[in-house]
Amino acid sequence: MPDVFIAVMLGWATLLLLGGGLLLFRSRDGLHRILALDVLVSIVVALLTILSYLRDVSYYVDAALTLALLSFSATLVSARYLLRGSPF
Amino acid sequence: MVGTLLSALGGIVLVLGLLLATIGLYGLLRRPDIFHQLHAAGLVTGPATILVLLAAVGTRSAEIITSAVLVILFVLVTAPLSGHAIAQAAFRRADPPEHSEDDDSATR
Repeated sequence: MPDVFIAVMLGWATLLLLGGGLLLFRSRDGLHRILALDVLVSIVVALLTILSYLRDVSYYVDAALTLALLSFSATLVSARYLLRGSPF
Repeated sequence: MVGTLLSALGGIVLVLGLLLATIGLYGLLRRPDIFHQLHAAGLVTGPATILVLLAAVGTRSAEIITSAVLVILFVLVTAPLSGHAIAQAAFRRADPPEHSEDDDSATR
């Protein structure tokens, strides 16, 4: 893939990140906020992947994997916390 | 020849993934209800992320493709689980017995 194309896609993903921030600011409720943060992290995962395509190195994808793992446990625990008042 | 084909395939898949993410984000911003929002969020956290990761074939680098396959497997497992956790919290909070009684009286 040409570098200019990947750079344009990186810009597009950054605009999506701005939209996710707008979603987070418009959320009225704790549950909406958890959902918005989940979506934001998955946009950041896509952003890191496109950055690794642009630089042609693989460790940004590993960082994306770690971020996805952290987001998964955080979403699960905070949803449980809202459900029954404690994470477990 | 194969290189050009893989590069074009990666570009198409990348554009498709970002398009899906844009559609999902638009749905998230449009809909006020949490269940409608979950429908749109499932598009962003699942298929859009997987399509962007599948575009790794366009780079033709073995390291990037291996890492991307690992992340794809991880996302395939965790995206439905986190969506289900949020939906369960929203469902329990919404007090379901009232809705079922309303449905019964509506059918009679």
